[in-house]
Amino acid sequence: MTGPGQEMPLLRVMNLSKFYGKTVGCHEISFELGKGEVIGIVGESGSGKSTLLECIAGRLGATNGSVFFNSSHGFLDLCRTDEVLLRKIIRSETGFVTQNSVDGLRMTISAGGNIGERLMANGMRHYGQIRKIARQWLETVEIDVKRMDDLPSTFSGGMQQRLQIAANLVTDPRIILMDEPTSGLDVSVQARLMDVLRKLVAGLNLSMILVTHDLAVARLLSHRLYVMKDGRIVESGLSDQILDDPREPYTQLLVSSILKP
Amino acid sequence: MDPILHMINISKDFVFHHQEGIRIRVLEDFSMTFFPGQATLLTGPSGSGKSTLLRMIYAGYRIPKGNILVRHQHEMVDMATALPSLVYDIRRYTIGYVSQFLRVIPRVSALDTVIEPLIARRMEPRKAEQRGRQILERLNIPENLWHLSATTFSGGEQQRINLARGFAAPYPILLLDEPTASLDPENRNTVMALVHEALQAGTCVIGIFHNPLDQKEIAGRIIDMSLTSGRQTEA
Repeated sequence: MTGPGQEMPLLRVMNLSKFYGKTVGCHEISFELGKGEVIGIVGESGSGKSTLLECIAGRLGATNGSVFFNSSHGFLDLCRTDEVLLRKIIRSETGFVTQNSVDGLRMTISAGGNIGERLMANGMRHYGQIRKIARQWLETVEIDVKRMDDLPSTFSGGMQQRLQIAANLVTDPRIILMDEPTSGLDVSVQARLMDVLRKLVAGLNLSMILVTHDLAVARLLSHRLYVMKDGRIVESGLSDQILDDPREPYTQLLVSSILKP
Repeated sequence: MDPILHMINISKDFVFHHQEGIRIRVLEDFSMTFFPGQATLLTGPSGSGKSTLLRMIYAGYRIPKGNILVRHQHEMVDMATALPSLVYDIRRYTIGYVSQFLRVIPRVSALDTVIEPLIARRMEPRKAEQRGRQILERLNIPENLWHLSATTFSGGEQQRINLARGFAAPYPILLLDEPTASLDPENRNTVMALVHEALQAGTCVIGIFHNPLDQKEIAGRIIDMSLTSGRQTEA
């Protein structure tokens, strides 16, 4: 029986740094992600969580360090991969769910089109087949298939996020990166999104890096947590270790600051 | 018989950085060996380290000093140093843990909460649901509640959901944090029966039991944690 992460890691981040001029985005970050593992990156706004995620996703160029990814083209350092191959790997083997669905969806094409576009970008041509898969994914993320031909701009915030998740998962990427997928949503809407995500994580054995400032969301979805402050990782461990037995002053502050209703 | 769990020189301090750096030593050089089919009942006042001990065995609390060796699929593994992937596996197959309170997740039905550990073992959903219904029935959760989220359930009902979840799948080691605390006599009897069945099946049961009745009914060793360690020192 092999659990997640026992073989070669899916992702190995080594000494990754990003500076904006003299300002530190993230500094000397190293960690590994196993297959089927969900890692949460938590911390306050400005702690460098999103910068780290965007460097991993190839959306930002890192100043230093490596992001080794176990891709279909081998174990490659994405920071040193030729641009054409990098774009191809990013497009077909990674997913990126943004905080604002406006950044992650095409608002001028239909919901079904947003899902189908990814399939076509990866070479699928059969229209009927594409529609069938799109319909299945809408059902999976609990969007009424009757809304398939509607524009995402007519959707609620929660629906847009669920659509974005479907559009990212449809090509069966090896890794999913999520940047604050639940923030800005009403709590009831958030609960539904969390539920959809929880089922997907369990059912599809997803490998995921989840950036969030919401510790409840982090606990629910993540196996392990990394706590970031001022661009650095201050503490890491199994999710319950970080949240129930925080050791560092900053983590203790973060955990003790949550209001429990 | 070979031990299934071996705790060697476990110490645990908690340091509260935002409360004048106060340091509380909860366990000091604690060692104990546990065998299959054996019951261990932890007692002692609050703060004597009972829950801490259970959580350390589960690696939910870190193990800064000492070793916790667990027999997992015929190998002894140290929970203090095991890689995360191995800890997930141990939690899935070897160590079950029933916390004192259910962590309720909105929108997830009571039945789904109960069968989650079975689904995690890749049991076929229909079979898992069958087992889930069986254990919910035994713990007197009315059928009309099974498909509702436990969010609105009473404290006692939530604890029974938690217990149903803990007993749904068999484990070689089962950790129980005050399993009978909020139960009426009838449900307490059911839990006692479940504990006996687990022991019969060879499970090593380690639990916090305050009720003298529980202590009388479960044939096992009683460990008074206030005598083993537990002392407070200033930073």
